[in-house]
Amino acid sequence: MTWQLFSYFALAALILWAVGAVAAWRHNSWLARAATITGLAVFGTFIALMWVSLERPPLRTMGETRLWYSFFLPLVGLVVYARWRYRWILTFSTVMATVFVCVNLFKPEIHDKTLMPALQSPWFAPHVIIYMFAYALLGAAFVMAVYLLFFKRRRRPKGLGAEMSLTDQLVRAGLAFMTVGMIFGALWAKEAWGHYWSWDPKETWAAITWWAYLVYLHLRLRYPQRQAEALLLLVAAFVLLQVCWWGINYLPSAQGASVHTYAS
Amino acid sequence: MWSKPWNLTEAFTIGIGLVTTGLLLQYTVGPVDWDMLAWPVNAVLLALLVTGMAAVWWAGTRRGIYACHWLGGLDNAIGALGWVVVATLVMGLTRQVPFNAPTLHDNPLDALGLTRMLSFWPLVLLYLWLTFSLGVVVLRRLIPFHWRNVPFLLLHAGLLMVLLCGTLGSADMQRLKMYVAKSTPEWRALTDDGRVVELPLAIDLNQFVMEHHNDSLRTPKRYASDLDILTRDGRRLHTVIEVNRPASAMGWRIYQYGYDRMPGTTGHEGIVSILELVRDPWLPAVYTGIYMLIAGALFLLFITPRKKNDTDDLATV
Repeated sequence: MTWQLFSYFALAALILWAVGAVAAWRHNSWLARAATITGLAVFGTFIALMWVSLERPPLRTMGETRLWYSFFLPLVGLVVYARWRYRWILTFSTVMATVFVCVNLFKPEIHDKTLMPALQSPWFAPHVIIYMFAYALLGAAFVMAVYLLFFKRRRRPKGLGAEMSLTDQLVRAGLAFMTVGMIFGALWAKEAWGHYWSWDPKETWAAITWWAYLVYLHLRLRYPQRQAEALLLLVAAFVLLQVCWWGINYLPSAQGASVHTYAS
Repeated sequence: MWSKPWNLTEAFTIGIGLVTTGLLLQYTVGPVDWDMLAWPVNAVLLALLVTGMAAVWWAGTRRGIYACHWLGGLDNAIGALGWVVVATLVMGLTRQVPFNAPTLHDNPLDALGLTRMLSFWPLVLLYLWLTFSLGVVVLRRLIPFHWRNVPFLLLHAGLLMVLLCGTLGSADMQRLKMYVAKSTPEWRALTDDGRVVELPLAIDLNQFVMEHHNDSLRTPKRYASDLDILTRDGRRLHTVIEVNRPASAMGWRIYQYGYDRMPGTTGHEGIVSILELVRDPWLPAVYTGIYMLIAGALFLLFITPRKKNDTDDLATV
C-alpha cells in the first residue's frame, strides 16, 4: 500500500460521502447513514493499510494527520446527523473532508518510513488520534458558529435554543477529547523527555487553545442569552486552534524551538 | 463599576490591576525567581495559599462578604480565564529563551521580560488569580459534599492540583546529565549550569546498543544503554534504558538522553552514553491531579449540564 493508491480510495470515499450528503437533503436518512458509513469503511481501510505498510501508525507528518482529520470529520458529521437530524451537517463534513483530501493530493508532504526513537512510544497513536478527533469536533462547532452567526440568526432574532445546545455539546465533547489528548501528551513527554510540560511552543499554544474553549463554556453557563458573543468567541478559539495545529510551523516565535516538528 | 452585582467589567478590571501590579514588580524587584521557591519555601507557600483560599471561602459563604463570594463565581472565572488566555498568547507570540540564557542586548523584548514569560510578574499574577479562584470554587463545591458534584470536583480540583503542585514543585525538580563510558562506574552528574552533583547511586555501563534504519541516511532507529545501577547499600540492579523507556531508582528517573564519541576513538567502544537523571518529588501529586482531570473529562463527555435558573453559581460540570 502506498500513497499512489490514495486517490482511488479517497475518490471512492468522497463519492460515497457525497451520496450520503445528498440523501440527507432528500430526507432519505437510511441511505445517508449507509453511504457515509461505507465511505468511512473505505477511507478507514486505506488508513489501516498505510499503517501496515509503514510499519508504524500514520501520524507523524502533517499529511498523515490530515488523513485522520478527513476520516473523523464525516464520522462526527454522522454522529451529529444521527442524533439531531441536521440535514446540512453531512454536506459540511463532506466538503471539509474533500478540502483535506485535496490538500493531501496536491501538497502531499510524503513521508519516509523511519520513526525517530522519541516517537516510538505506545502513547504516540492515542495522543494524536484523540487530538485529531477533538479537532474534528471543534471544527464542527466552528462551522455551527459561522452558520448561526451569519446565516441563521437573521431569521431567528429571538435566539437559538436547540442549535446553541448542539454547539455546546460539540464544544464539551471536543474539549473533553482535547483534555485527554493533552494529558496523554504530558504522560508521554514524561517518559520520553523527562518532564510532563516544558512550555514548548506547541504546548504553549495547546494551553492557549484549551483556556480559550474554557472561557466559552463558562461564558455559556453565565450568560446563556449572549449568543452572538459566545459564537464569536468560538470562531476566535478555532483560529487559535489552527495556529496550534499547523500555524506554529510558520510562526516566527516557534521556529526551531519545538519538539513537535518532525516533518521537515 | 463596583456597584453590586459585580459582573465581567469588575473581573476585567481585576486583570488590569494585576497586570499593572505585575509590571511594577517586574521593573522594580525584577523577574520572578523560581529557585527561591525550593523546599521548604514552596511547602509554606502552599499552606498559606490553601489557608487563604479557605479564608475567602469562609468569608464568602459563612460571613456573606460579597467580594469573597463573588471570587468563587462565574464572572470572576471568565475574567481570570480570559486574562490567562491573553498572557499565554503573548508568550506564544514571543520567542522564549531559557531561564539561564544571557541577556539579549539587541532584543528590546528581552529587556521588557517578554522573552522569559514564565518569570514575568503579570503572567504569574494572572495565573495565581486563576488558581486562587479555582481553590475557592473547589472548596465551595466540596463543602457540603454531594455526590452530584463529583464530576465538577474531579475537573476543578484536578486542575487545581496540577497548577499548584506543578508550579510550586518546579523548584524542587532536579535534571542532571551523566556521561558514562563502558565499564567505568559513574556517580557524578552535571547541572545545566555546569555544577557537579554527587548522587546516592552509581551507574556502570555494560554495553551501548545502536541500531539504524535500513535507509541510505542510516538514521538511528534505536539506541539503548545496558547498565547496572549501584546503590549505596551495595545492591546492583541490571536494566536496559532507551528513549521512551526510562528506569527508576531511589527517587530518580534515568533517561537515555543521547550519545557521544570520545575523541580519537572509532567503533563501538569509544561511545559515551549520555543519561539524564530527573528527580521530581511533587510528581505523585501532579499525577493525581492529571488522573482526576481524565476522569472528569470522561464525565464531560457523557453528562449534560442541568438547567438552572439562578445566575450566580450554576456551573454543573
